[in-house]
Amino acid sequence: MTELFGFWWEWLPTLLSGLQLSLAVTAVALLFGIPLGLILALGVQSKRAVWHVLSLFIIETGRGAPALILLQFTYFGLPSAGIALSSFVSASLALAWCTGAYTSEIIRAGLDAVPHGQKEAAAAIGLTDWDALYFVILPLALRVSVPPLFGFAILMLQASSLCFAIALPELVSQAYVIGSNTFQYMQILLLAGLLYAVICIPATIAVAALEARLGRHTD
Amino acid sequence: MSDSTAIRRGEPLLRLAAVHKRFGTHEVLSGIDLRVSAGEVVAIIGPSGSGKSTLLRCINQLEPPTEGRVLLGGVAVEAGQELSRAELTQLRRSVGMVFQSFNLFPHLTVLRNVSLAQERVIGRSRKEADAVSMQLLSRVGLADKAQQYPGRCSGGQQQRIAIARALALDPKLMLFDEPTSALDPELGLEVLAVMRELAENGMTMIVVTHEMHFAESVSDRVIVMADGRIIEEGPSAEVMRNPKTERAKRFLQAVNDR
Repeated sequence: MTELFGFWWEWLPTLLSGLQLSLAVTAVALLFGIPLGLILALGVQSKRAVWHVLSLFIIETGRGAPALILLQFTYFGLPSAGIALSSFVSASLALAWCTGAYTSEIIRAGLDAVPHGQKEAAAAIGLTDWDALYFVILPLALRVSVPPLFGFAILMLQASSLCFAIALPELVSQAYVIGSNTFQYMQILLLAGLLYAVICIPATIAVAALEARLGRHTD
Repeated sequence: MSDSTAIRRGEPLLRLAAVHKRFGTHEVLSGIDLRVSAGEVVAIIGPSGSGKSTLLRCINQLEPPTEGRVLLGGVAVEAGQELSRAELTQLRRSVGMVFQSFNLFPHLTVLRNVSLAQERVIGRSRKEADAVSMQLLSRVGLADKAQQYPGRCSGGQQQRIAIARALALDPKLMLFDEPTSALDPELGLEVLAVMRELAENGMTMIVVTHEMHFAESVSDRVIVMADGRIIEEGPSAEVMRNPKTERAKRFLQAVNDR
């Protein structure tokens, strides 16, 4: 047992630097992906055919293709079109695409959950469609969407482990490197798993608390 | 507040000409003609599904009519006509609407519910809008609720707040869509009292209602609708006591038998 802890202690700093990168790529993906999700949710509902079709295309490719394929597409595929991106930028782009596609559904469900009467009341008092969206519909929709969005963020952190496939030295890549140097795969992957759990379990509990809190003032 | 409406009392304010509304193949309104003068209070009664609510929604274009014409304060809107943002805003400013289910914004304070449109639609400052809102909330007897959220208020209070919100842009016409139907009788009374006060101060009102006493005692005129048509209209007492058509007789009989 002390041998295991000694091994962990030795490699913990390396894994933590990997974890830092996992968190960074997840944060960037969410930062761009969630606003993209909002735009796509509105785009799909647009009466303009161009917006509708374009949004639908981005959503269906983002949800239809496995995240691993999106990662490989942006890292290995785009260079053949003359666009060479670093592994961090490729990873951020692919995961933001995936995030936008999935969160657009979460946000759309939130928008649909806003009672029709709220939209009617906003229109009846003369608000423009944008004002109605900004002051009335989005605040109500986000109350519904925020807990599943955070839930999705936790999933995204776990999905960022796929970035090992495009040579991004995040947590899982670091664990593999250590494993191949020491042949102690089991031990190091266990520690990597523990590090994910240390973040994801409290985050899940926090989301549940947030969900309860947002339930107030909604009716 | 009611000066402008009081001066023009009796002048034509609203006219509907041959208004039809279809949802797909289902015709909800089949040729409605209606004139309302400034200061008049018109009650619309009739069975569920007769098109009463849709009629109100056609007046402020929440549901654009499929055919026909709506004239409000000298501005005509033809069915199928694409309204500019400015025209639509002008229309919504001049018509206040109160809904059966109140539809207050649950995430905003009572004060903000009443102030929001004043700021966004007619460009009042926050301070100015809040001052007007406080006056309106006092008028409906709820100034003390200004900082609360609507969810903390009773149904009757919520509906009075909704009336204050609808009055905030100084409308020429107020539409009430079964304002007391979601309330128990006691809470309904406080809403009716506010409406009575509005009527006495010269507000032009169209009220879809099942409150027969209110229809008879407050309104100048009663309209009976069935199957998307106006089947009877006239002075309240006359229509309520001596309906001429069979259909209106049956409806009023059913209401009185309850």
